Amino acid sequence: MRSIISIILLFLSSASLFAQVQLTGKVTDTKNNPLPGANVFIQNSYDGATTDSLGNFSFKTSLKGIQDLSASFIGYKPFNQKVDLEAAKTISINIHLEESEDQLDEVVVNAGTFEASDEKKAVVLRVFDIATTPSAQGDIFGAFGTLPGVQKVGEDGRVFVRGGEGYETKTFMDGMLVSSPYTSKMPDMPTRGRFSPLLFSGTLFSTGAYSAEYGQALSSIVDMKTNSIETEEKSSISVMTVGLMGSTTQCGKNSSLSLSGDLLSSALSNKINKQQVDWIKAPLTADATIMFRQKTGKTGMYKLFGTFNTTSSEMLYPNIQADAIQDLTLGSSNIYLNNTYNSALGEKWMLKSGLAWNYDHQNMKIDNDRITTDQKMVQAKIGFSYFMNEQTELKFGSDWVNFSYEQKIDMNGNYRLPFSNNELSGFAEMEYKPSRKLATRIGLRAENSSLLNETTIVPRFSGAYKTGKHSQVSLACGEFYQNPENDYLKFAPQLKPEKASHAVMTWQYQTEKQTFRVEGYLKKYDQLVKYTAPLATNQLDYSNSGSGKARGIDVFWRDKQSLKNTDYWISYSWIDAERNYKDYSEMAVPSFVSEHNLSLVFKRFLPALNTYASATYSFASSRPYHDPNFSGFMNAQTKAYNDISLSLTYMLNFFGKQAALHLMLNNLAGFDNIYGYNFATTPNTEGKYESSPIRSPFVRQAILLINIML
Amino acid sequence: MKKSVFILVMLLISGVSFANEAYQKAMKLAIDRLFQTQTIQEYVDVANQFERISTMEKKEWLPLYYASFSYIMISFRETDNAKKDQYLDQAQKYLDQAMSIEPNESELLMLQGFLYPSRINIDPINRGMALMGKMNAALEKALELNPDNPRVYYLRATMTANMPEAFGGGAAKALPLYQKAAEKFELFKPKSEIHPNWGKDINATDLQKIQK
Repeated sequence: MRSIISIILLFLSSASLFAQVQLTGKVTDTKNNPLPGANVFIQNSYDGATTDSLGNFSFKTSLKGIQDLSASFIGYKPFNQKVDLEAAKTISINIHLEESEDQLDEVVVNAGTFEASDEKKAVVLRVFDIATTPSAQGDIFGAFGTLPGVQKVGEDGRVFVRGGEGYETKTFMDGMLVSSPYTSKMPDMPTRGRFSPLLFSGTLFSTGAYSAEYGQALSSIVDMKTNSIETEEKSSISVMTVGLMGSTTQCGKNSSLSLSGDLLSSALSNKINKQQVDWIKAPLTADATIMFRQKTGKTGMYKLFGTFNTTSSEMLYPNIQADAIQDLTLGSSNIYLNNTYNSALGEKWMLKSGLAWNYDHQNMKIDNDRITTDQKMVQAKIGFSYFMNEQTELKFGSDWVNFSYEQKIDMNGNYRLPFSNNELSGFAEMEYKPSRKLATRIGLRAENSSLLNETTIVPRFSGAYKTGKHSQVSLACGEFYQNPENDYLKFAPQLKPEKASHAVMTWQYQTEKQTFRVEGYLKKYDQLVKYTAPLATNQLDYSNSGSGKARGIDVFWRDKQSLKNTDYWISYSWIDAERNYKDYSEMAVPSFVSEHNLSLVFKRFLPALNTYASATYSFASSRPYHDPNFSGFMNAQTKAYNDISLSLTYMLNFFGKQAALHLMLNNLAGFDNIYGYNFATTPNTEGKYESSPIRSPFVRQAILLINIML
Repeated sequence: MKKSVFILVMLLISGVSFANEAYQKAMKLAIDRLFQTQTIQEYVDVANQFERISTMEKKEWLPLYYASFSYIMISFRETDNAKKDQYLDQAQKYLDQAMSIEPNESELLMLQGFLYPSRINIDPINRGMALMGKMNAALEKALELNPDNPRVYYLRATMTANMPEAFGGGAAKALPLYQKAAEKFELFKPKSEIHPNWGKDINATDLQKIQK
C-alpha cells in the first residue's frame, strides 16, 4: 500500500522535474533602467525570483500550459502577461514596469491653494504646524497670517487676502458653510476663530481662483476637514493662565464620540500682561463641542459636529468720534451644527451631502443704548462625483442657504432692521488629466439670491503642467460674486452682489522636505458697495458703483532638511492694491493694505531639553490712513509693523501622566505697533481734528498652559 | 474493488496533504531565511518569496504577515526617509490584506504596533503624537486577543527603554517589562512551526544590555 503511494508520488515529482522550464529576462523601467529587487513569478505558484542588481531574473518552473507571469516592484504598477510554458525549454522575457502614481510626482491643480493635511503627501503644511505657530496663539486664522498673500490687520483678526476685506474670506467645515466663524468683537480689537485647530485633520486655504464648488466669497475660502473616526479612547485636561479646558473621546465598534469644553477668562492674564484697554469686565468665554462619527456600510461615513459658545465682556472705550468715553458691554452666543454624510455609490460614484445650522446672537450695549443682532443660517447641500475614467472626474451639486438677519436698535427710539435671503446655487466641474503631466479643471457656478433678486453665472478654470520631476506651473482664473455685507443689506436690500475676477499663475518646486513657490496674481473688483457716509440709513445712500484692483507677487519657501531638527518657512508678499468703495472720495490704497508683508516661522526640536521651540517674526510695511488735518485723501502712513513671538513646549511626566507644558510669548520685543488712527469728526477749538491711535489690547503677552493626558 | 477505493481515497488525502506540505515546506524555508537575513536586498528577496506564497495561498494570513514583517525590517535599515515611507506603505498593504483574512489575530495587531514606531522615526515632531496613540491602541487590542503574546510585551519594553524619562520611559522603567516579556517567551508555544515565534533572543539580549 504505502509503496504504491510512494511510487505514485515519486512518479509525480520526477515527472515534474523532468519537464521544468527555465524563465529568464530583465526587468527595467520605461527608460530601460534596470530595477533590482523586483518580484517576478508565475501566478498561483511558488515559482519565481527576485531580480539581481542588474535587473536580471532566472527561475525554473514545472508548471505547464499557458500561465500568468507577473512582476511587481514598489512604486511601479504591477505587470501581468500570459506565457506559454510549453513553447520552449527556455523562455526569455524582458519586462518594462511603469511607475505608479506617486502623489508627489503627480500634477496637482493647486494655483492659489495652500493645503494642510495629515493624510495627503503633496501638501505644504501639517495640522500640527497650524497649532504650533507662535504668532497665531492657537488660532487657525492667525496661522494663515504667516502664509503669503495674507495681510496683517492686527485690529481685526480676520483673514484679509490679496487686497480683499476680511469679510471676503468665507469659512467652511467639511464643505458646509460656517456663517459666523469668528467670535464677536469689541471695536478696534482682534477677533479669533471659534474652533480649536486640534479638531481638524486638514484645512484647505485658497487665496484665489478656487473651485466652482465654493461660492459667495470674493477673495478666499478656508475649508476645514474635521477629524475622522477616533480609534483611541483618551481624555485630557488643560489648566491655563486664561482658563480651563477638558476633552474626552469614547470609541465604539464603528463610531466615536468626542466631547470637549472650556471656560476661559482673561481676568488673570490681563493682570499679568499689561493692557492698553480699560476693561471693566475681562472677556469670559464658555465653549462646548461634540463630535460624533459613525461608519455606515463599507464606505459610508456620517459626521456630526456641534458647538456652543457664549462670551461676555465690558470695557471703557474712548470714542473720539463721539467725543466721549463709552461703557461698552458685549454679550454673544453662537450655536453651530453640522451633519455630513459621504458614501461611495458603486464603483464610479461618490455622494457628499450635508445639513448645517448656525444661530448667532449678539448683544451690544453702548452706555444706555442697545443693539441686538440675530443671525440664523440653514444650509442643505448635495454633491456627486462621477469617475468617468482614469483621466476624467465630473463633479456637480447644488446647495441652498437660508439666511435671516434681524437687528434691533434701541437708541433714541426703537428700530428694527430685518432681512432674509434664500440663496440657491448649483455647480458643475470637470477635472481632466490627459497625462500625469497635465491637468485641467473647468467649472461653472450659478447662484440665485431671492433678496437681491439676481442670478449670476460664473466660469472657473484652472490648469497645471508638470515642468519637471518636482516642479509644475499652474494657472487659474475665475469670476466670483458675493452678496454685500449684512451691515449694508440691512439698510439697502436693493444692492447687487459685489464682483471679483482673479487670475493666478504659480510655479512650484516641491520635494518631500522642501517647497518653493512663487505666485503672481491680478484681481479686479466691480460693483463694490459705496455709501455717502458710514452708517447712512437711507437705502438711496448706497450703491454698487465702487471698484478696485490688486496685483502682487507671493513667495513661499519651506525647508525641513538643511538644518538638523529644524523646520522653517518664509513668506513674502508684495501687493499693489487700490479701491474706491465705502465713502472713499477717490481710488486709493485701502487702510488694511501694507505693500510688503514678511513672515518667518522657525521650529526646532531641542532633544536635550525635551522641548519643542517655535518662533515667528512678522513684518508689515506701513499702512495708509486718512488724516483730516491735511489735504488730500489717504494722505498719511502708519509706522511699519513688527512682531516677534515665541512658543515653547516641554514634555514632562506629571505624577505618572504624560503632560506637556506650553509657554506662549507674544511681541517679545515689545514693539509699539499702531494699526491706524481714529479721528474726531469735528475739529477742536484750535481747528485741529484730534486723533487716537489704534493699538493691540496688550503690549506683550504671556500665556502658560499645562496639558495632562488622563 | 474495496482495495482500489481505499487506494483512491488515500491518494486524494495524500494529494491534499501533499499541497499542505508544500506550503509548510515553502514557508519553513522562507522563514529560516528571513531570520538569517541582514541586508535590504536579502530582505526584499525573502519578502518576494512570501508575496509569491501569498498569491497562491489566498486564505493564509501568515505569508502576508511575514512579507509585511520583512518590509518593516527593511524600513529600519533604510536611511532615505522617502523610501522608508514607501517600504512602510508596502508593509501596511500586506498587513491590511492579512487583517482582512484574519481580523482578530493578536500577532497581526502586534505587527501593526511594530510598524508605527518606524513611521514615527521618520518625522517624530509631526507624527509622534497621533501615531503613538494608534500604536498603543493596536498593542492593547493585541493583548486583548491574546494576553500571553510575548512579542507585545517585548515591544512595550523596547518602546519604554527608548523613550525619554520625561515621557515615563527609561531603563529603570523598562527593566520589569523586559523581565515580564522574558517570562512570557518562556511559556510561549507557537501554534505551528510556521506561526510567529520570534523575539525571544532579542529580548534576552536587550534585557542583558539594560541590566549592565
